[in-house]
Amino acid sequence: MKMLWTEKYRPRVLNEIVGNEEAKRELLKWIVDWQRGIRDNPGVLLTGPPGIGKTTAVYALANELSFHVVELNASDYRTAQSIYAKVGHLTQSNTLDSFTSGGVRRNILIFFDEIDGIDPKADTGGLKAVLDIASKKEVPIIAAANVPDPSSHKELLKSFKVIEFKPLTPRQISILLRRIIASEGLSISDEIIDKIIRSSRGDARLAVNLLQEAAAGVDIEFVSTPMENLPFDILMKRLSSSLSITEIRNLLNSNSSQIEDVFYAYFDMILRSGSISLEEKIRLLGEWSKLDILFGRMNKKRYFSLFRYINMLLPWLIYSANRAGAIYDGRIPQYRLRLFILNRGAREELNNLYNTYLKGRLHCSYRKFVLEVFPYVCGYLKEDEYPSLTKLCKKGGYGVTW
Amino acid sequence: MVQYMKIRYGVPFQIPRRLGDRFKEIVGIKGVRYVRQQGFVVSDKSALDAMNRILIKMGLILVPDIRCFICGMDVECDECSYKDVCKRDAGSCICSTCMSREDVVKRYYDTQRTMLDQALH
Ligand SMILES: [Zn+2]
Ligand SMILES: [Zn+2]
Repeated sequence: MKMLWTEKYRPRVLNEIVGNEEAKRELLKWIVDWQRGIRDNPGVLLTGPPGIGKTTAVYALANELSFHVVELNASDYRTAQSIYAKVGHLTQSNTLDSFTSGGVRRNILIFFDEIDGIDPKADTGGLKAVLDIASKKEVPIIAAANVPDPSSHKELLKSFKVIEFKPLTPRQISILLRRIIASEGLSISDEIIDKIIRSSRGDARLAVNLLQEAAAGVDIEFVSTPMENLPFDILMKRLSSSLSITEIRNLLNSNSSQIEDVFYAYFDMILRSGSISLEEKIRLLGEWSKLDILFGRMNKKRYFSLFRYINMLLPWLIYSANRAGAIYDGRIPQYRLRLFILNRGAREELNNLYNTYLKGRLHCSYRKFVLEVFPYVCGYLKEDEYPSLTKLCKKGGYGVTW
Repeated sequence: MVQYMKIRYGVPFQIPRRLGDRFKEIVGIKGVRYVRQQGFVVSDKSALDAMNRILIKMGLILVPDIRCFICGMDVECDECSYKDVCKRDAGSCICSTCMSREDVVKRYYDTQRTMLDQALH
């Protein structure tokens, strides 16, 4: 497998991370204050969609100030015990925990990544353990979440200093690309660069991945027009913030492999919404269940011509749900992960891929890998090495299809 | 429909909504204060974000006035070729003059280094 440019060009210092300047300054200031003994908040919570530099900022910060990062992610949060076992001992003042690497003594920084990966319903004290460890204020603690949930993350939002990261502006994406283009000595037309900037929608990781695809000779027309395959989270955000039927239809068409996920996510949103009136809810859910029947019939009987009706109806339903005030709060339907992993061959290959090549190289958990990174790695897989995965990718059932 | 309103950090402004109970909630945010007869003053981005989490329920979003991160000049978003895909919610961007310079990447890095070094002291 080729080296991903997202890794090759991952900034090691804060000032080379493009975008979110003020957020990084606040983060740096917080930790400098911490070192001086000013500890108003037990920790920092970084929020914002994937691919915009939250994790990179944490590691760059640690690198600049000589901290050793102890990272925990969604898979560590299942029980309070597993959290204490991993980091509990670091918060006792007597241990003087520092880490020596390359002859340099480094202080510890605990990084709770994907804190919103804790399912509030299945949480057996994980969040409480995080808050408890942080409240001791012995070790600086940084947590990261895509979209914190106002109710289940209430305590966290209240006590931690919240720093929000935003998607990059198109011009910031352009700066990011220029650096790689210069460093790789690429000759790519302005027109293609423009398309990459437009398709990336502020996601730095996506932009760099698209640039690597384009440099590898993938037809850029192909990249930008028929299939967008946005990360699910971003697709949902864009859909739910749109009040244009044309835009909604275009988004659905260019992300057609995710239509069913979108459908269920909306079902859930309408059901849980506090701002939609009861009458409106009943009406919307009624329309939704009609569509549900169509989906069921289509999947069971392999009656795919029904898809045409779904395609016609869904944009209107999304439009009316948005008008009624449906708000996407960032929940990724869990079954989405399961559907994929049900395929045993694919599951084994995926595990193998993660363990052989990516574990340790990517700062992320298996869950994050499957949802956010794999869709981009997909295009680089050799067919003889990963037959089930490549088959799945080609079918368009998962992630990138160009 | 959501209404967007431009504000500057550290400069007082009024909120065109009847706040009622929310007023207390807003001034309770760290980094937000209320100056009599002048209005709210927001110190930084995280305070603004916290404020927006309350205001969005009333259909209002405050957006910081966008300046060029490198030279500090106004970024004329309306003349930007990406205005159709830009959300304009970043604290800063880069102006077209700076963008057109050969060494924009280096200047961006350097500006950011200077800003971060100031935070270190
Ligand atoms: Zn400028
Ligand atoms: Zn812009």
